[in-house]
Amino acid sequence: MADYANPEVLVSTDWVAEHSADAGIRVVESDEDVLLYDTGHVPGAVKIDWENDLQDQLIRDYVSKENFEILLSEKGIANDTTVVFYGDKSNWWGCYAFWTFKLFGHEKCLIMNGGRQKWIDENRPLTKEVPVVEKTDYRVSGINNSIRAFRDDVKAHTALNSPLIDVRSPKEYTGELVHMEDYPQEGALRGGHIPGAKNVPWATAANEDGTFKSADELKDIYENTQGLKPDGDTIAYCRIGERSSHTWFVLSYLLGHSNVRNYDGSWTEWGNLVQAPIEKP
Amino acid sequence: MARIQEIIEEFQGLDFNTTLEMLLDYANSLPELPEEYKEARDAGLNRVHECQTPVFMWVNVKDGRVSMHADVARESPTVRGFVSILVDAFDGATPDEVEQAPSNLLTEIGLVNKLGMTRTRGLGAVYGRLKNDVRKAASPAY
Repeated sequence: MADYANPEVLVSTDWVAEHSADAGIRVVESDEDVLLYDTGHVPGAVKIDWENDLQDQLIRDYVSKENFEILLSEKGIANDTTVVFYGDKSNWWGCYAFWTFKLFGHEKCLIMNGGRQKWIDENRPLTKEVPVVEKTDYRVSGINNSIRAFRDDVKAHTALNSPLIDVRSPKEYTGELVHMEDYPQEGALRGGHIPGAKNVPWATAANEDGTFKSADELKDIYENTQGLKPDGDTIAYCRIGERSSHTWFVLSYLLGHSNVRNYDGSWTEWGNLVQAPIEKP
Repeated sequence: MARIQEIIEEFQGLDFNTTLEMLLDYANSLPELPEEYKEARDAGLNRVHECQTPVFMWVNVKDGRVSMHADVARESPTVRGFVSILVDAFDGATPDEVEQAPSNLLTEIGLVNKLGMTRTRGLGAVYGRLKNDVRKAASPAY
């Protein structure tokens, strides 16, 4: 049985229970719901919110380098801190925060396999106590845009017929969902997918208990069935780039693919772009 | 003053953290769904599909008063908190009070500003559904 390409990037709930208070470790919870952390979290974990903390509130982008530095300094994360991410929904948001940290060049990032759900299912303790952390002086040395795709990159990518993975649900992929009166929350004026994109819903990579599928299963899904190559050039997208950061993580770290980008503009950008080509089955 | 106006005033001018605390208090105080609705909820009925988080809501008008029962998973405290605000404001109110309540309620209580557009869109749909349900239930045509 094959192992993950980078097995060291995953830690177990056991490991976190044992090491969360160690020097040089900071556990970070990132959830879809901004209040979920406040209802109880892994002891010692700090909260980082994908929308309020990581995204700029004026321009549709991530926070500035300066604001990222302030955020991490206040959360007690130094440049050499090992950050362990976890969250709800099989670590969607944990992976999203992981990806954003990588975008800002943070080196030591880990994921707690199984996320919040597994921790709770194992009856491990939760606390409402927000840890008091010692402020640091975090410095961003550079932005790593090699893991981020912008719309023009995606356009060029489709022209080359390079692999695109749409990780949304099948109904979003076919465009059925946006057209249903009941789902105005999609925020896109057109339904369908980017031409050439294949549909592999993100959850295909997750087990029932929130952990990642085995290396063999992942290889089978992404390499044997979809034909992705470890040295290929792949872009993943979803609605706002959150679910696709889960797939980005799986491809980049668990399968070791060298060139995978997350298109964070995703369908809420592409489905609103004037004259952008759309495929609908 | 209508209860909704009192709630709007309570929320106005609060800082980010206090707003979140208030919302969490509301989430914790959402009344338990009465037994007679649980079977319907478990069968997936009365779900507000416009919101990604499962929200189950029953709105009726009887003898000139609105009754509202709702259930939202504890794993979604933000949505649960907002629905709890709606129950506090409108359970027992008159249909007219619901009709008169500001359509931009989420902006008025500062949630659009503090939680962002992406998150509050689903909440707006829940509120829209409530207003619609009350309008239908109170209209003689139904």
